[in-house]
Amino acid sequence: MAEDERDAKVTQRYRELGGEEPARELDAAILAASRRAVDSRPAPLVAPTGRRGWYVSLAAAAILVLAVAVTVHVERQSPDAEVATRGMVLQGPASTAPAPTPAPAPAPVEVRKERARAAPEGGARRDEFAPEPSAKPAAPPLAQAPARAADAQGTLASAPRAARAMSENVAARLMVQADSPEQALQGIVDLRRQGRHDEADKALAEFRKRYPDYRIPPEMLEKVERR
Amino acid sequence: MGEAADEELMLAYRDGNAAAFETLYTRHRGRLYRFVLRGVKSRAVAEELYQEVWMRVIEARGRYAPQAKFTTWLYTIAHHQLVDHWRKRGLTVVALDEGEAVPDGSQDPAARAQAREDLSRFAHALAALPPAQREAFLLHEEAGMTVAEIAEATGSGLEAAKSRLRYAMQKLKAVLDNG
Repeated sequence: MAEDERDAKVTQRYRELGGEEPARELDAAILAASRRAVDSRPAPLVAPTGRRGWYVSLAAAAILVLAVAVTVHVERQSPDAEVATRGMVLQGPASTAPAPTPAPAPAPVEVRKERARAAPEGGARRDEFAPEPSAKPAAPPLAQAPARAADAQGTLASAPRAARAMSENVAARLMVQADSPEQALQGIVDLRRQGRHDEADKALAEFRKRYPDYRIPPEMLEKVERR
Repeated sequence: MGEAADEELMLAYRDGNAAAFETLYTRHRGRLYRFVLRGVKSRAVAEELYQEVWMRVIEARGRYAPQAKFTTWLYTIAHHQLVDHWRKRGLTVVALDEGEAVPDGSQDPAARAQAREDLSRFAHALAALPPAQREAFLLHEEAGMTVAEIAEATGSGLEAAKSRLRYAMQKLKAVLDNG
């Protein structure tokens, strides 16, 4: 069809218009651009293959490791201690999680609070003789405190006065803390049993000062007096 | 390399062979330049558009696939550049530059003057064609395209391309006949 339309005279006349060509500078600029494009090698539209493929795998692995690490970190930083504890229990003793176990620390606090609440309500009256109201049963502290004092007597040169003052202090405290004469006598009995006779003597003397009209039963008298 | 088909050269350039592009460029530079030059008014604009066409070719090398003739692809890019230009600046024509080639068929000054006048009338007739007809004619003359290829390069229907080329030929032939 085009051939039919073609007119040789038209074509000849068109050719006579001249064979204009682009300037050499324009040619040079375009060719230089084409070479730069080849040299610079912009990122291809398809996934790289072959020897350049390794960094894609490396990047993917790095991203995966980072994602897992962040997830684990966020999970461990969770403020829900119960969940965290449960998680550690589920992990078992073989777990290497560095988080401290929360159970041991608060337990003593709870025990102390519980005992402090129970003390005024009665129950184990041996607490009455403890040097500190919040301490454990009276006997061990009472036994330990003088024992520590005895140690001090043996090691310090000026111990006698201090030990005497301490025993007087123990006797006085025993009388103050006892709610009744019977409790006070029982405290003296405890001191006798522990072999702390000096303190028992002082406590007995203090008892007689505080309860001058109290008649100590004979069977109790045998227990509180030194033999 | 010089005997290779356009499509092979473009594929070679896509794969990093800069020399293939140079061969390809040398093969098409003149015709593409004239196609663009006669489609616009200003030489400076023509050079700008011409360079832009080749830049598009360079940029698109990674996407090039020889699904059609290279010339069709190349002139399709050029067509889009011209269309953009026409849309921006209106439908304009290119004027013949001073000192353009004139057939030297006769030493007679009167005959030479007549030939110059005939050529000038032809150039003005070409410039006066509607842009679509002029483009069809230039694609036919410069790129050697068939009607089907013109239709493909310009994104028009086959009948439309055929009509444009026929009207362009008739008008230009009339100028010659009346001369």
